[in-house]
Amino acid sequence: MAFTQDKLEREEDEILVREFKEGNLEAYDKIVERYQKKIYSLSFNLCRNQMDAQDVTQEVLLTLFRKIETFQGKSAFSSWVYRITLNATYMRLRSKKKEPNVSIDDLMPSLNGAGYQQEKIQDWSEDTESLLFDNETRETIQKAVDQLPEKEKVVFILRDVEGLSTEKVSGILDLTIPAVKSRLHRARLFLRKKLSNYFEEFQFRREKK
Amino acid sequence: MICCKECLDLLADYLDGELDEKTNASLEEHFKDCPPCISFFNTYKSTTRLCRETLKETEIPDIVRIKLQEFLKENTRKKN
Repeated sequence: MAFTQDKLEREEDEILVREFKEGNLEAYDKIVERYQKKIYSLSFNLCRNQMDAQDVTQEVLLTLFRKIETFQGKSAFSSWVYRITLNATYMRLRSKKKEPNVSIDDLMPSLNGAGYQQEKIQDWSEDTESLLFDNETRETIQKAVDQLPEKEKVVFILRDVEGLSTEKVSGILDLTIPAVKSRLHRARLFLRKKLSNYFEEFQFRREKK
Repeated sequence: MICCKECLDLLADYLDGELDEKTNASLEEHFKDCPPCISFFNTYKSTTRLCRETLKETEIPDIVRIKLQEFLKENTRKKN
């Protein structure tokens, strides 16, 4: 299903790009309509700043307009757009002060010498439905993602938030498949730990009431 | 029988349905006897879902959308 959808979107993109290269401005408008939310959303999730995400979106859409001739179709058009968006976002982030990377160690439960878990793990997965639309929960989730080291964050956003395939992410970031998988796993472990702290504290507060 | 460490290392591929049949069966066998690993897996899976549902909703604010339209009109139409 996802594969068919991907193929369909890729074919539609190819037609629009061809028409735009031939000078059809309506095709460019359609490209803008298809991609502006994706560009804005990816950039915003990486820099968490409306002004920067707006500037990046403008820059990327203008690049698509001015440099469409340089797109040779070796990869999917969407991969090209994602790459330009990431470059533009990182250029902006680079000029700002860098936050220190948070250590991704110590994300696993404690194991004994034989590799078995020793502690009880609280399962909060059933309790999250009612909390999902709570502002505090949303802020906690956004903050946790913001704290991810950049290498893990970009893989997590492309793969788990945007829903791209591992293969596509590997192509966009020029990483091997095992590297994408490893970064994704570390990101999920990091976020799980952060959310566990939050939900456990939430349950503790609720029980105290 | 696999241990918890091996089980935790396989979670990503298990969640994405990428384990071979034999490894998949070993992992599920481990889950039967290991409530902590089930809890870990449930919360691992929920983490991905919660983050996706929270971040996926990022919409372009109306004011930004208007500015983008003006910007594109200015920069892509006047010269043509």
